[in-house]
Amino acid sequence: MSQNETTVQSRLLRGAHRTLTGLHPALESILAAIVGLLVGAILMSIYGFDPWKAYMGLVKGAFGGSYEIASSLARATPLILTALTFSICLRSGMFNIGAEGQMYMGGIASVLVTYFVLPTGLHQIAGLILAGLAGAAWGIVPAILKVTRGVSEVISTIMFNWIARWLALYLAIYVVVDPLRPEKTLSIPMTARFPVLVRGTDLSYAIFVSIAFAFVIYFLLWHTAIGYEVRAAGLNPTAARYGGIRNRRTMFLSFILGGVAAGLAGATIVMGLPPTYAIYGGGGLPQLLNMGFDGMAVAMVGRNHPIGILVAAVFFGGLNAGGRVMQFYGANPVPLEMVRVVMGAIVLVMSIPELIRLFPMVKKQAEGLIGWLRRATRRTEREESA
Amino acid sequence: MSDQSTPSKNGFFLKANRITKVYSDGTVALKEASLEIRPHEIVGLLGENGAGKTTLTKILSGLLPPTRGRVVSPKGPVRFTSPREALDFGIGMVHQHFALVGTFTAAENVTLSHEQPFTRTRIAETQQQLESLMEQSGLHVPLDVPVEKLAVGEQQRVEILKVLSRNVDLLILDEPTSVLTPLEVDELFTLLRRLKNEGKSIILITHKLKEVGSITDRVVVLRHGEMVGDVRTAEASTERLAQLMVGQALDEKADAVELSTEEIPTKRVQQEIDRSGAGTLHVENLVAKGNTGEIAVNGLSFDVYGGEIFGIAGVEGNGQTELVESLTGLRVPASGTATINGTNILGLDPRQIYRLGVAHIPEDRWELGLVLPFTLAENAILGVHRWEEFRGPLTLLRWGKINQHVRRLMDRFDIQATGPSAPAKSLSGGNQQKLIVGRELAKDPAIIVASQPTRGLDIGAAHYIRQTLLEMRDAGRAILLVSADLDEVLAHADRVGIMYEGRFMDVCTPDELDRERVGMLMGGATGKEGE
Repeated sequence: MSQNETTVQSRLLRGAHRTLTGLHPALESILAAIVGLLVGAILMSIYGFDPWKAYMGLVKGAFGGSYEIASSLARATPLILTALTFSICLRSGMFNIGAEGQMYMGGIASVLVTYFVLPTGLHQIAGLILAGLAGAAWGIVPAILKVTRGVSEVISTIMFNWIARWLALYLAIYVVVDPLRPEKTLSIPMTARFPVLVRGTDLSYAIFVSIAFAFVIYFLLWHTAIGYEVRAAGLNPTAARYGGIRNRRTMFLSFILGGVAAGLAGATIVMGLPPTYAIYGGGGLPQLLNMGFDGMAVAMVGRNHPIGILVAAVFFGGLNAGGRVMQFYGANPVPLEMVRVVMGAIVLVMSIPELIRLFPMVKKQAEGLIGWLRRATRRTEREESA
Repeated sequence: MSDQSTPSKNGFFLKANRITKVYSDGTVALKEASLEIRPHEIVGLLGENGAGKTTLTKILSGLLPPTRGRVVSPKGPVRFTSPREALDFGIGMVHQHFALVGTFTAAENVTLSHEQPFTRTRIAETQQQLESLMEQSGLHVPLDVPVEKLAVGEQQRVEILKVLSRNVDLLILDEPTSVLTPLEVDELFTLLRRLKNEGKSIILITHKLKEVGSITDRVVVLRHGEMVGDVRTAEASTERLAQLMVGQALDEKADAVELSTEEIPTKRVQQEIDRSGAGTLHVENLVAKGNTGEIAVNGLSFDVYGGEIFGIAGVEGNGQTELVESLTGLRVPASGTATINGTNILGLDPRQIYRLGVAHIPEDRWELGLVLPFTLAENAILGVHRWEEFRGPLTLLRWGKINQHVRRLMDRFDIQATGPSAPAKSLSGGNQQKLIVGRELAKDPAIIVASQPTRGLDIGAAHYIRQTLLEMRDAGRAILLVSADLDEVLAHADRVGIMYEGRFMDVCTPDELDRERVGMLMGGATGKEGE
């Protein structure tokens, strides 16, 4: 009888354990999002705002209607691509922090389409190619430095972000500048703009570029021998070498693909963001700023899986879009910065490795404490009776 | 022999009482195992891999809590929540993998393990303590040399000193002989006997029956987590122990080589091999450097012909790893030549070498042979993932065909797993190794480089893999077998090279060798001037 019970119990436990480990990555991300929102709520109540109302505003502003959903998706568009940059490289075992800089270069390169005339369709493609090439060119230099000189890709990509930022600013102000309006670059010609998808919003067809690229990367990584090599090299470089995989090659490939993704991200912003379709130099490239870094957060929440990234990017896009609404919401004007606090908290929680595993540890500690208490009481009882 | 000085009124030092251990994933590692440890005794803990030997000792030494049951001392039940508590109680364990800081001296390492302030005076004190301890125990280690400069046997002695310096009464050794030369094993056993006579209890984990017979007083046999035997060594025959260990179901496998201590079976079908001219694998004056730049392979020349197994015996770390890596493209040798069927292979990368018909069963299956987070299917194509069979246009992987291939492998090589999409890390060691062997043999190779192919496997799996290698030999393949398991090499190789410090001490057929001579050659002594 009791034997039977224990087997049923252990089977149930095993089943629950298996389900939990299967859902593990998604669960961790969801948990991190919840914890991040909680931290935001606590901060809001400390500063005298009503977190519940604020979050209602946030959700309404993000997903409350077709306009809101469209603007959330519009904000997700470049994030998907910059997140892919980080993820592809991480899958091959590299930390590419350079999405930001590669995205600047892609954005500037796509402005170059103003210098030639092409029919619609071809013109967009030309812009994407230019941006992709520029991003890849910017991404390949750290890879070369790594292979030939052993320079850590973390350091070099971060430094390249700064070079790219000031180079892009210089180019925007002095080279591809609009002669009539020196605060902005030339505008992308009509034939090269991504048409708006939902009228009256800034969601353009550029989102399909992002989604398509995510699926291409998914397919590449899990359904081709090339992607197989990238993943093998990332998970176990020694075994990959044993398996005849040339790790240098997978490294270059991942940096090139990552650079292309980041470059495309720049292009989707410049060519697909109404109403200006240009880069503003004033205030240090405000439309582009931080899109690369936010992409890393998206990649983490999306667990470095292209499909996960699509979901996570919509979540972050929603935070960005809804955050604007939150600050105008009735008598409860929560500053926009609060949204960034929430994002920061999410990233912090995500970076606690193996979050779920913390719980067995807590459980073990609690069990130890209970056991100790029990023994202590028993001991005192025994002493009393003796 | 000193008399009973240990405080043990009931005649035992420690008792494990009906201990059950269920791991969090549901695996039952121990079922109601009971064990009594007395002073003045060496207990052999015998069992196959996964029998629960290590789990039991980990519970005794405070690394794991038992699920049910308890550990009892003469004074009542004890409960250790950490190895430190067990050490304070007098139980110390020497693990298979040493926990030493390579650049520290023995004295510094021992001081570090005492978890006290790491000061100069403290180290000097420890050094003094160790010197008197060495005097007492007859265990000698140079104390002021960085331990990385010491031989493996000496490092092990440092580990033992580390535990003894805490004044333990029960010493647990986890497979201590697997890394030692025959001479070092003898020294270790002398030491253990002396400790026993001083009144200490010793638990020796092993799966070598021979050692059980030569050193232990009592043998406890574990099988699938259950205690299946607790006998006095003097009253147990080797056959009986082997039977207990592998169980009745595996009876036909009980004649596997490891179990016969007397004689090495020579099942060899002596076929004449034409050994004139260059072999399938031809190596000449090969020199290769180790990771730290020292000469690891020092001018080796040999040939391996189709239809034979060329065995390389020797204590690990005498250049075997570097030799194998040089031949499989993982290491660029310093000089020399190596050809496979006439094609020079030095300087080629692994993929090019595989294309010449080389299969490589690597020594480290976790670091080299497998990508552990990958699935069975993904691992089954490592190295052959670009073959036409598995790859369509644009290098698209044909998962359908790959899964078919994996199912065939699982069938043919008896790989126990839930399916092709099971992660490789969920497989047991034996099944992981079978997966590697299966993958490599599926290449239909002309030459197989097998490095420690059966290390850490239970008898069933090891037997199966050896049998497979013999089949490949009979099918005319050339096999280079590198193994630290002397019995394995002597039983299966047609010719043996005994490697010491990057050179062959001798190359001959196994019949020309007796164990003593092999032992001396492995230790670097030539037959004539040996001790």
